[in-house]
Amino acid sequence: MNNKVMTAKDAVSQYIKDGDVVYIGGFAANISYALTHEIIRQKKKDLTIVTSSFNEHGDQLVGAGCVSRIETSYFWMEVFGQCSCFRRAAEKSIPHSVQIEEYSNFAMVARFMAGALGIPYVPLNAIKGSDLAEQTAWKGDKKLKIMSDPFGSGTVHALVPALQPDIAIVHAHRSDENGNLQIWGQVGDIPWGAKASRTVIATVEEVVDGDVIKHDPNRTCIPDFMVSAIVPEPFASHPKPVQGYYNVDRDFIFNYIKLAKTEEGLKEFMDEWVYGVKDRTEYIEKFIKKYGWQRFQGLKSSQYSAASVNYGA
Amino acid sequence: MGKKATDYTLQELNLVEIAREVNDGDIVIIGTGMPLLGVMLAQKTHAPNVFAITEAGPIGVNPAYLPFSVADPVFTMGATMVGGLTESLGLVHAGRVDLGFLGGAQIDKFGNLNTSFIGVDYNHPVSRLPGSGGANDIASCCKKTIISMAAHRKDKFVGKLDFNTTPGYLTGGDARKKIGYPGEGPLKVISPLGVFRFDEVTKEMYIDSYFPGVTIEQIKENTGWDIKVGKDCKETEAPTEEQVKVLRALDPAGVFLKKG
Repeated sequence: MNNKVMTAKDAVSQYIKDGDVVYIGGFAANISYALTHEIIRQKKKDLTIVTSSFNEHGDQLVGAGCVSRIETSYFWMEVFGQCSCFRRAAEKSIPHSVQIEEYSNFAMVARFMAGALGIPYVPLNAIKGSDLAEQTAWKGDKKLKIMSDPFGSGTVHALVPALQPDIAIVHAHRSDENGNLQIWGQVGDIPWGAKASRTVIATVEEVVDGDVIKHDPNRTCIPDFMVSAIVPEPFASHPKPVQGYYNVDRDFIFNYIKLAKTEEGLKEFMDEWVYGVKDRTEYIEKFIKKYGWQRFQGLKSSQYSAASVNYGA
Repeated sequence: MGKKATDYTLQELNLVEIAREVNDGDIVIIGTGMPLLGVMLAQKTHAPNVFAITEAGPIGVNPAYLPFSVADPVFTMGATMVGGLTESLGLVHAGRVDLGFLGGAQIDKFGNLNTSFIGVDYNHPVSRLPGSGGANDIASCCKKTIISMAAHRKDKFVGKLDFNTTPGYLTGGDARKKIGYPGEGPLKVISPLGVFRFDEVTKEMYIDSYFPGVTIEQIKENTGWDIKVGKDCKETEAPTEEQVKVLRALDPAGVFLKKG
């Protein structure tokens, strides 16, 4: 037995180094803001951040100057609005320049899948013919290859290389102290992204007894031996949702977008919600103090439970 | 087909144009906003057996309310299967999804789209845009796609894209067929001015119909190339009264639908 429970502060300082390639898990859900904010507080530098699609977690890391390179398919806030820090960095090198290696969404997931399975590269039906196959930021001809099917179908494919990040940052629903991570609802890119990475640090809504995990092993996405740190941080994914725990906080997202449009507004947001708190507990306290208990409770998920299943032999 | 409506907005007509391409039993990949509303309209009228999947992983979805985020937990509640991006976009990549939806900051006459940047140098953009997301996968691999353009101006309908993020018919003719995507390419384009389709042989975009109050001249003036006019070009067919009623009931709070 190996107890991996620790604070966000310890997890980030022990496992993330300047210059690392960091996978940040979650497709607009189950995103560990508790850990991305801690990375910002610890002023990590020169990171390459990778995921299938970035929202404000990536935007804040770029705005805080932690990022030099980005590999992704998307960097925006869906129909909510734009990622202003991302735009300022790409267009005006504020706070400094970032390079963007752009793939399609499925190509990113396929790269993580390949990384997780030890497959060196994956041939895809997409990307070929578009400028995604022509333009590159820093990878040059290592971004992808266009190749004719060696089995003679006559079709060309885009071969994209496996991606094995130095570390994965994810948010799970629950785990035991050893780090068996369970996620339900839409898992986005988390299982492949985490398993492709050399190690994983995770925040969780709840730390549960090992027996809870062993009574429901189908729900485990990432086995404990891949995980280095477990940080119990309820509400770590706010303003993004966690199935069965809390929903999207639309107002909070709109407020961030509004503020992040200017450097002054970004500073105001970061001073309040990132630099102004020492951990997620203080963040929640601040949220409740500012917006009230009712709004906090209003984010909680409705009840919609599964029937139990028998795992008996 | 039901009585034609007289009281409807152009946004509602736009959504009806989306719904018209959804066949009963189609497997479709949806996001949020307009395409979601268009598909839900089809589901509640002529296509009750449409099978919808979302990018984040929920499959066989039937959301109880209109979500703002593509990862809203409401997509999982009541879905028939839930996985991750491998399950949803994997179906797309395998060519098993009938219909997908696209948009962009720029479109050219062959239906190629730019959602990456405005400018001349990829590494020094004048305006950086979101990127492909799943659009390149959907455009390459869904059997058919519908493109919705939020604005119709010369800087949106352009002679040449700054960047081809998402393939339409590439350079036209049989260029798309030659490269061998699983999908056939865009069916039509809907803009605030009208509906556009692609010539069967040249794959060049033409005006198929114009919205009420819009003229062919106005479309030509706002398009960055000399756009051709379809031989049966006419005013876009009005929605039925039922379609308008169903649409308004889908979004009573006006989250996506503008009033009046």
